[in-house]
Amino acid sequence: MSRKLSLEIDPRVEELSAITAAVEQFGDAEKWPPDMVFQINLVIEELGLNIMTHGKSEDLEKIEITLTAEGESLTIEIVDNGHPFDPTREAPEPDLDVGLRERAIGGLGIHIVRNLVDNLRYRRQGGRNHVTLVKERVR
Amino acid sequence: MEVHAERDGGALIAQAAGRIDGSNAREFESALRATLSKQDSALILDMQSLSYISSAGLRVILMVAKMLQRRGGKFMVCSLSESIDEVFEISGFNRIIPTHATRSEALAALGE
Repeated sequence: MSRKLSLEIDPRVEELSAITAAVEQFGDAEKWPPDMVFQINLVIEELGLNIMTHGKSEDLEKIEITLTAEGESLTIEIVDNGHPFDPTREAPEPDLDVGLRERAIGGLGIHIVRNLVDNLRYRRQGGRNHVTLVKERVR
Repeated sequence: MEVHAERDGGALIAQAAGRIDGSNAREFESALRATLSKQDSALILDMQSLSYISSAGLRVILMVAKMLQRRGGKFMVCSLSESIDEVFEISGFNRIIPTHATRSEALAALGE
């Protein structure tokens, strides 16, 4: 049987703390280790902030976040009606091989997401972005 | 999020506590800049009490690291939790910012 957590937030950074609290509570019930709670909060924040900054359009009203836990995996779906943005393709990978002086500031959010999840998918449907992430349980 | 600063020898140690995310990364930046005087040439960011950091906070750390480098100073971090250490590694920060397990190790490295 699967367990679900559904959240809906306004596209404002101040709303992030509400997500954090809800994810922590859900993680407690699921008996996630602390590292898993940290990583889930992180990927949701990074994708959420990305929508608020890059995907921002006048139409953007709400961001819907659904967590579904089933067996050892967690699926997170994030839906918004901002500008089309495909995080699997559009964010360039940062150059991590350069020194401190040459290192560009920014561009890390989506890179972190890609490295923390096991699967990342995107589709544009009905004028909305649907980002689906799958994360296998961290031990 | 709170930043508590103290001096040990010639080094300024800034201890960040709590969570640094997109909603308070600017406060974190102001707090760090406020603790750092023009004379400070070495800054250790102690993350012992930091429970969470996202790319918004990493951005501030990178800016401060670059600023110290420009003025010929030293910047290092210490006492990262396992989760934060992993994010540092994913972000490649461990390759450009000296990272130490404890504050005393960081201070010892500064003295070398």
